[in-house]
Amino acid sequence: MSPRVAAVAIAALGVAAAAGALTLARTTSQPRAALALHLVAVTIGLAWILAGALAHARRPRNRTGLLMVGVGFAWAATSLSSADWSPAFTAGLVIGNLWAAMLIHLVLAFPEGRLETRAARVVTASAYGLVLVPAALSLPFAAADRVTDCAPECPENLLLASDRPGVVDAIEVATVAGVVIVFAAAAWLLVRRWRRASPVGRRALSPVFGTGLIAIALLISAVVVDEVTGGGADWFLEIALIAFGTVPFGFLVGLVRSRLARGSVGGLVVELGETDLEGGVREALARSLGDPSLELFYWLPDEASYVDAAGAPVQPPDDPDRGATVVAHRGQRVALLVHDPALRDQPDLVDAACAAAGMALANERLQAELRRHVEELRRSRVRIVAATDAERRRLERDLHDGAQQRLVSLAIVLRRAEGMAADTPDARAMIERARAELDEALRGLRELARGIHPAVLTDHGLGPALRGLADRAEQPVRLDVHLDGRLPQPVEVAAYYVVAEALTNASKHAPEARVEVEVIERGGRLSVRVTDDGPGGARPLRGGGLAGLADRVEALGGRLQVRSPAGGDGTALQADLWVDAGR
Amino acid sequence: MAVSVLIVDDHAGFRAVAREMLETEGFRVVGESADGASAVADAGELRPDVVLLDVQLPDMSGLEVAELLAKAPGPAVVLTSSRDGSELGDRLASGPVRGFIPKAQLSGAALTDLLA
Repeated sequence: MSPRVAAVAIAALGVAAAAGALTLARTTSQPRAALALHLVAVTIGLAWILAGALAHARRPRNRTGLLMVGVGFAWAATSLSSADWSPAFTAGLVIGNLWAAMLIHLVLAFPEGRLETRAARVVTASAYGLVLVPAALSLPFAAADRVTDCAPECPENLLLASDRPGVVDAIEVATVAGVVIVFAAAAWLLVRRWRRASPVGRRALSPVFGTGLIAIALLISAVVVDEVTGGGADWFLEIALIAFGTVPFGFLVGLVRSRLARGSVGGLVVELGETDLEGGVREALARSLGDPSLELFYWLPDEASYVDAAGAPVQPPDDPDRGATVVAHRGQRVALLVHDPALRDQPDLVDAACAAAGMALANERLQAELRRHVEELRRSRVRIVAATDAERRRLERDLHDGAQQRLVSLAIVLRRAEGMAADTPDARAMIERARAELDEALRGLRELARGIHPAVLTDHGLGPALRGLADRAEQPVRLDVHLDGRLPQPVEVAAYYVVAEALTNASKHAPEARVEVEVIERGGRLSVRVTDDGPGGARPLRGGGLAGLADRVEALGGRLQVRSPAGGDGTALQADLWVDAGR
Repeated sequence: MAVSVLIVDDHAGFRAVAREMLETEGFRVVGESADGASAVADAGELRPDVVLLDVQLPDMSGLEVAELLAKAPGPAVVLTSSRDGSELGDRLASGPVRGFIPKAQLSGAALTDLLA
């Protein structure tokens, strides 16, 4: 039987029961209360049954709906004690208070529809016990007119054995005490649950607290007052009844509400469309669902792993105390939501929010993927530059250890030969020519090696290397270097090449100009500035030696700028590097 | 008395050529060392007048060796390198270091000039 059909059947039965109860109440031979009171009472029962049926239709798997229906029928069954037919009358006496125990059961099981803790189960069992056991114990000793106000024409109490008012009174007192204790225990359990709940959990519990707790408190007081005043405070009972009548609607609202914690689903869609911040989707969802502990992970199918908003790979927690919902967009897994477990009981809510967020989530996921790729690219660039530099260092070393050494030894040998040929001017002249050639070869080799990689840079650092550049330049170069010791190798190499290229350009385009080189390390940044007072003129950054330089500088997260306005204001080349990027 | 020399360089080829040249020109080569640590040890043991020291050694720079040699009253130090000396700059003239000769220009006369 589908939940909808069951709900309709229940509603029909409920209407029949209400009609029956009303009939019994109005046609009884016992003293009748006012019609208004009967109508209110019947309406209350009907409200419980109908609200319960609706709740069951909406949430068939949650037993709360059926419990509400139970309360409604039990409430209607209290009118059995108005019956003239003795068996019905006696039955009514026995189960007259069953509705109260069912109410306690319902309240303690909300919102899951199950009694989750042992304490809750004990209190509920005690409530049912208190409803049925004292009645079973005292009815054998109570005449009909002692139990209920039915004189002078009372139906027969079929369980009556002998009329012992004392026993009945004693049991009644004990029962009232038990009732107070059980109600108090139930109230305490609810308070404890509230205090332990997360914000999401509290939102789910609030309808119970708004109406249920108050109703229970009023009912306790009504029972106590009734006992104390011997039935003289009907008005108090009526207030309690009315409060009781509002409870089913509180429960219904709490069970089926799909309203978001803040705003509406439409508002959420708009807000998500406008958010630009990294992680903005998580913020918006957390606010809308009322769950600040919400975590959002994006699924990258290419990598087959989850990443956070910044694109870094991350493993979602596998925590049984947290709820997890997969978010899909157009049938594809897009993200994972890890949230407060209380949200598990509001699947409609989470689904609606995820549907609203579907597009924004897919968007943010793309961004996360992009960030990841960009980071990969940056790392690979640094690796490539480092690899090239290592190659060059190796090449320079090989040159030094190999060819240069041999030629140096050759020079020394030739010098000796020159000494030995002191008496043969022709031979000496030849050897002198050979030595001159050799000197040239050695010088050329040294320059070649320096062009491949300046050994002084590795051995002694940026300062001495720049001094070497300045000394070898053909135009006057003023050096202004403020360094605090060595820097990471990639940074020193980049700075060196910037200055070397700038000096080369200056010697080509402004050979008459004076050049200034300023290198400052400050606050984790290295600033390299080469200026000349030559004729200037536009020079494309992406042409020639500067292109490779820009790549090298940018791979370290730095920036290269050339300012060379035509018209004689000189040229300025500036590179800003992060010292840490080289590590 | 011929001036005694300790040759410190990690290239055996250069050491051989330098030894031959210096001995022909009247110097007395008392030892050869291939790295900084053994250079300091040999200098202590052999007590040469001059140490011909390559700036680039496998275990430490020639300048560091010079500093170590300066601790005890010791030999004069002449630095050499197959690269030119422009990169050493101001560090040349300190301590026991008498000067610098590029390897290609090494000769007995150049050495004598520096030591004078």
